[in-house]
Amino acid sequence: METQFIGEHLWPGQLGHFFVICAFVGALLSAFSYWRAAVTENVELTTSNSWLRLGRGSFIFHTVSIIGIFSMLYYIITHHLFEYNYAFQHSSKALPMKYLLSCFWEGQEGSFMLWAFWHSILGMIVMFTARNLESRTMTVIALVQVAIATMLLGFYFGGDVKVGTTPFILLRYSMQGAPIFQQANYLNMIQDGNGLNILLQNYWMVIHPPVLFLGFASTLIPFAYTLAALWKGDYQLWLKPTWVWSLFAGAVLGTGIMMGGAWAYESLTFGGYWAWDPVENASLVPWLTLIAGLHTLIVFKATQRSLPITVIFFILTYLLVWYSTFLTRTGVLGNTSVHAFTGEGKPLYWHLIIVLSVMLLASIGFMIYRWKSLPKIKEEEPIATREFWMFIGAFVLLLSAIQITISTSIPVWSPLAKWLTGKDIAPPVDPVRHYNNIQVWVAILITCMTGAVLYLKFKKSDVGTAIKRLLKIAAVAIIISSAIAYLQKINTWQYDLLLFSSVFAIIAMLHYAVFIQKKLKKMGPAVAHLGFGLVMLGILISSYKKEVISINTIGAIIDFGKKSDAENAKESQENVVLYKNTPAIIGNYWATFLGDSTSASDPRTFYKVHYEQKDSTNGKKLESFTLYPDAFVNPKGQMGLTPNPASQHFLTKDIFTYVTSVPDPAQKNADNDFKVHEVMLLDTVILSKGYLIFNSFEKADIKDSTNISVKANLSVYDLKGLVGELHPAFSIQNNTLQSEGAEKLSLMNLEVIFTNIFPQKNAIELMIKQTDDKQDYIVMKALLFPYINVLWLGIVVMVLGFFLSMWNRLTKKF
Amino acid sequence: MKSTHIIILVLVAAAVCVIVSMFGDFSTYETFASAAKEPGKQYHVIGFLEKTKQMEYDPIKDPNRFTFFVKDKAGNESKVVFSGSKPTDIEKSEQIVMTGYMDGNEFKCKKIQMKCPSKYKKDQVVEGKAG
Repeated sequence: METQFIGEHLWPGQLGHFFVICAFVGALLSAFSYWRAAVTENVELTTSNSWLRLGRGSFIFHTVSIIGIFSMLYYIITHHLFEYNYAFQHSSKALPMKYLLSCFWEGQEGSFMLWAFWHSILGMIVMFTARNLESRTMTVIALVQVAIATMLLGFYFGGDVKVGTTPFILLRYSMQGAPIFQQANYLNMIQDGNGLNILLQNYWMVIHPPVLFLGFASTLIPFAYTLAALWKGDYQLWLKPTWVWSLFAGAVLGTGIMMGGAWAYESLTFGGYWAWDPVENASLVPWLTLIAGLHTLIVFKATQRSLPITVIFFILTYLLVWYSTFLTRTGVLGNTSVHAFTGEGKPLYWHLIIVLSVMLLASIGFMIYRWKSLPKIKEEEPIATREFWMFIGAFVLLLSAIQITISTSIPVWSPLAKWLTGKDIAPPVDPVRHYNNIQVWVAILITCMTGAVLYLKFKKSDVGTAIKRLLKIAAVAIIISSAIAYLQKINTWQYDLLLFSSVFAIIAMLHYAVFIQKKLKKMGPAVAHLGFGLVMLGILISSYKKEVISINTIGAIIDFGKKSDAENAKESQENVVLYKNTPAIIGNYWATFLGDSTSASDPRTFYKVHYEQKDSTNGKKLESFTLYPDAFVNPKGQMGLTPNPASQHFLTKDIFTYVTSVPDPAQKNADNDFKVHEVMLLDTVILSKGYLIFNSFEKADIKDSTNISVKANLSVYDLKGLVGELHPAFSIQNNTLQSEGAEKLSLMNLEVIFTNIFPQKNAIELMIKQTDDKQDYIVMKALLFPYINVLWLGIVVMVLGFFLSMWNRLTKKF
Repeated sequence: MKSTHIIILVLVAAAVCVIVSMFGDFSTYETFASAAKEPGKQYHVIGFLEKTKQMEYDPIKDPNRFTFFVKDKAGNESKVVFSGSKPTDIEKSEQIVMTGYMDGNEFKCKKIQMKCPSKYKKDQVVEGKAG
């Protein structure tokens, strides 16, 4: 007989799973109907129209079902129904409301759901705006939705083959066989869920995944339009929506990627916003090909050239989005990525491979079918035209994407390499240097073209004027970039070149926008290019001049690599110990660890670090600030600490600090006791830091001969001078000796108790305790990022440029 | 021949050179024994923490030195010197990937990546980085 479990809420899960099936069936029906509508379009219009209506209806049904899935999962998480695996794995009761949304994207099912949600919303917009291409575009979108819905099905075929994972699986199914589920009232024993990974408990993690997934999802639309255009053989209807959607996708995906960078910068401890981590690369590569496609599309609009490559770019972009899902979700990256999506298992691995192969084959099929009839122009294009350089730029972006993909995919192709050569290939020892050394050339070429291309015109340019203008701008750029290189001490020639080309792009685009274009509505390209130039300049200065300022000057030097001793020392000594209340030099600052604090409402421990900069000549305080880097100390299921950085933002630089180690609280205060000192009048007691002098007695409060109270006046000095006075008291009451408790001087961590008096010797007995600061310390790292604000400003400007172009395109007739 | 084609050919040729030379940049997974054949050259070594042996980290003496023992996939054991603070949760790691080089009997590294089984998550990757 089956056990009747007590206290389970089965209806949200059953309803949720019902919605999953509805979403799947709705997408399937919609795809079929739209396909029929497309096929019968030129045969029988009434039939076609009724298919179209059915397609629309079932897509709306599909969208509603996805919202239903979302709501049910939200209900389960917010009501802490831990009988569900998803709630148990990813949430806990103590989790603040704002992070409950992050629980959605922590798990694989939730992120597929988020993806499907954006697809369906964007699909609805396409449904109402695509007009003549609607049936074909929506067939593609609905088919993709079928593929994603299968990821959420959680069906078993024949017991072994599992298709998808439903987010509504009960804990007792996902952990089958665990003894706890033998008991009908097992829920009484599960009081709380596992909670959210502490790295994700950050406001960036609430907004970054939805934006990034919206970016990924929006690359579907140019892809769907492109396949639809190939299918229909009509490339004029295709132009406007694809243009607008790829601008939108470029803006949103770009924002999403940089939000990931901001998250890494604000809450991870890589010490930076970009580490060329496989997960970061996987989202960058589709953006590069998307931007390439956008540019060749513009070329096609203006000159009827470059259509085949545009088609390839948009198809490639969407396939790369799926490939990036494959890389990051299946655990194939294994040991090469910092990000923690690992091992979702073999079923997902094969599932994604099948989806990717189907899409690839379908796209190739469409391209072969139409390749010959794609409009092409035979005669040569002149070199001094906008289209020529836009094409070259797009091609450079493609090469860049290829390089990044090859290096990122090492774990994918290394088994093949091992089979061929016997070598077990691993990622480069220093991935950042590996990518930077190659991509700096891409950046130089692209920034040059970014700055110059708008000065040329489509088809025929006035080359003389263009060259004259560009030479002037280049001259100004040389002066400015030389000044920056000199002041910032950028001494690597490749990076000097990049510095020049970025400055060139910035000036050229400012000049173009203000003096040549003038119309705000048409400024989109200039503004986006200006933003790109600023991004490159910001990355260059903040990364090249990024400085670890917490160089440890004590302790052994570890020999590293084959560099100079100075470099070795620098590389191996980036952590510094700060003893409590003892200032240490960090960069230009005196940094002091002032203590830690915790509160009941926050699981983190905050470490107070005060920074002060003084003028070396007159000792005047120039600037001072206090940072509170925090850490989860001994979080659930872990030992040690998980730190979060804290940064002080200035206009021209950021000071970035995080704690890497703290002493074990159990060992703190182990041998810290009062020591007895007999002190004569005017005697000095040496303390571990400074000394104290017993100046005088003071008889206070003499009520009668049996009740005497005596105060001792003590002056406490450190190495610089007087710190403070202490007045511990002692009393004799009815011939009973009694001390009046400890007097504290917190500046010196000093505690003194007056315990006895020896009138004959003119001496007193003091018990003195000075907590050793060396027992309370933090190990931390501090980095300085100069001009990082140029990067953030650049992103904002670039995204503005995208939206400006979108606005221009949307209001313009084609 | 179109001028576009010439430029693209040049770019492709450059890209091919870059990609070919890039392969020299890639590292390989080695064991302590094979890494010792070229002391000073950096490799990736995969191994498992020897939990019975002493781990040492004394930030007061040196905040950038953490030592422990690892058994590599071939079963050989070596002392590892990590130039950074002690990575969180290393005691629980199932597998460690270290990037560094052999120096005498010690493997010196500045990057550690650990796979940690936790009772809460099936897999978790944690990274310790010195650089």
